[in-house]
Amino acid sequence: MLSTINRRIGLLLFLIASGYLFLSYQLPNYPYSPVDADVIPKGLGFLMILLSILLFFSRAVETEAEKAKRNIPKKELLVLLAVFGMIFVYILLFEIIGFIVMTMIFIFFSSWFLGYRAFKTNIIVSILFPIVMYAIFVYALGISLPRGIIPL
Amino acid sequence: MDAFQGLITGFQVALSWEGILFVLIGVIVGTLIGMMPGLGPISAIAIMIPITYGMDPAPALVMMAGVYYGAVFGGSTSSILLNAPGISGTVATSFDGYPMAQQGKAGKALAIAAVASFFGGTVSVIMLMLLAPALSSVAISFGPPAYFALMLMGLTAISSLSEGSTIKAMISAVAGIMVVTIGIDPQTGTQRFTFGSVNLFDGFDFLIIALGLFAIAEVCMLVLNRRNRSLSDDQKLGSIKLSKQDLKEMSGPMTRQSFVGFILGVLPGAGATIASFISYIFEKKIAKNPEEFGKGSIKGLAAPESSNNAATSGAFVPLLSLGIPGSGTTAVMLGAFLVLGVQPGPLLMTDRPEIFWGIIASMYLGNIFLLVLNLPLIPYLAKILSIPRPLLISLVIMFSLIGVYSISFNTFDLYMLLVFGALGFAMRIFSFPAPPFILAFILGGMMEQAFRQSMTISNGSLAIFVNSPLPLSLILIALLSLVLPAFIKWRSRRNLLKQQ
Repeated sequence: MLSTINRRIGLLLFLIASGYLFLSYQLPNYPYSPVDADVIPKGLGFLMILLSILLFFSRAVETEAEKAKRNIPKKELLVLLAVFGMIFVYILLFEIIGFIVMTMIFIFFSSWFLGYRAFKTNIIVSILFPIVMYAIFVYALGISLPRGIIPL
Repeated sequence: MDAFQGLITGFQVALSWEGILFVLIGVIVGTLIGMMPGLGPISAIAIMIPITYGMDPAPALVMMAGVYYGAVFGGSTSSILLNAPGISGTVATSFDGYPMAQQGKAGKALAIAAVASFFGGTVSVIMLMLLAPALSSVAISFGPPAYFALMLMGLTAISSLSEGSTIKAMISAVAGIMVVTIGIDPQTGTQRFTFGSVNLFDGFDFLIIALGLFAIAEVCMLVLNRRNRSLSDDQKLGSIKLSKQDLKEMSGPMTRQSFVGFILGVLPGAGATIASFISYIFEKKIAKNPEEFGKGSIKGLAAPESSNNAATSGAFVPLLSLGIPGSGTTAVMLGAFLVLGVQPGPLLMTDRPEIFWGIIASMYLGNIFLLVLNLPLIPYLAKILSIPRPLLISLVIMFSLIGVYSISFNTFDLYMLLVFGALGFAMRIFSFPAPPFILAFILGGMMEQAFRQSMTISNGSLAIFVNSPLPLSLILIALLSLVLPAFIKWRSRRNLLKQQ
């Protein structure tokens, strides 16, 4: 039943749409208003259920190009996951440690991790980029970025 | 204010020192980001939006417009030099541009692209100047039902014209509207899908969606392709001089395709990518020697380049005069307008003439800048293509994070950026087009409002959408744009079966 990828996605979307629809029915509606806050979500929920069923039963065959696109080696997926992990750690810490220091660390390590071996250039960019961005945002645009541990 | 007076106001904005400076910044940044394979105009605009916070709207929007057409202009460079289109609107450029570069005529190819882009851009600004005010004065009488129908038509058009499956494009669009329903309903104050979380009360800022679905997702694709060739230092560009014969040969396709591109740009759903392909096929069909196409034909290069730039200005017609974007990129442009507190639409021309006309006037200037920048400086600008991919990836991630953080100073939004980045990546992998999602996200709120206003006017009767000719015909077009492609597909499949 779940032989093709479109069927699996169709089923997943069906489940998500059902959840969304269920929540839409929990929304309060008040008398005397022709269209309340729940009408559009309900409509969207039913539309998505219809579309997910259409996708499930669609006879469109996946083209070779489409197949190739989703055929990613496991190793590359792990690399991607690691990049997401690094971003996650960055978000977690940058308000505490500060924009400049965390950005320096992030740019250096993520570039290095992704295979950039020009050590000197990497260091120069990782130092200059955060300082220039900090200067532009904080001093020129008046948007404050977390200072963290550096007393600037 | 008539058009002539308006244009004078516009040039006062565009030719002020501020105007000139920001047009220049816009087109340079746009060109550079547009050149990067994988990073498109949506990412370029979204990355630049935080810079405009606190700026005066007129120069800020002049700059953002410059980023947009600069990106389309710049996209051709990597198509020609690397056969890796910077943006989808320049895929057709690589068909003849790359072979020309391989023959050692990269400089000439870049020059042809620059001249054709300039020509297409300028012709379509003239048409934009004529058409946008006219459409504004008509649109001023549109009521909520007509607006709702127009937006519906925009969404169905982009879904049916998207690459690949129409069902997937529609799913993408519906999901975009679903995401916009999260938050406090602006009309009744009801909390929808917030699960009581304060972070979700205001819903998602469009910048989170634009940067996640495009910039971060594009970064993911860059990570997978990080070992692809970047520009090597020893690549020779050759002369950038064009002979009279070259100019003569490109003049025909350039003129024709500027008009084709503009018209396709104005229509909802089409935009630069489709315009460039149609123009390429168009010129190949009417060419005396179509076998030259694909092997470095001047015509084959000039046609998509004038067309995609013409489409870019064309796309500003519905945005400026109706306030309704017709493509993913103009949807993000609309976001840039709203961030600055400017609501484009039929009233823009009369209420904020300096913005309406300023943008139009600045496009003349921007196209001249782009030509001047691109012709002599292109060998130097192209150096940016030799930035190592890993470094580029880290920097784009940082730009996206800073951009989102500077809206709300809330790390919750940054986590959401990651979530939408993962979603955007999954959509690319499983062939769900992202432009319908962002267009639907931007239009969703406006559509719901127009729908509810219409229903209030009609006291809850749906007949309001079919009782007057304008909404009725728009809704019919919307339905037709979904049904017609499916019908054509079904018929061609049936014919195929018959033949077998």
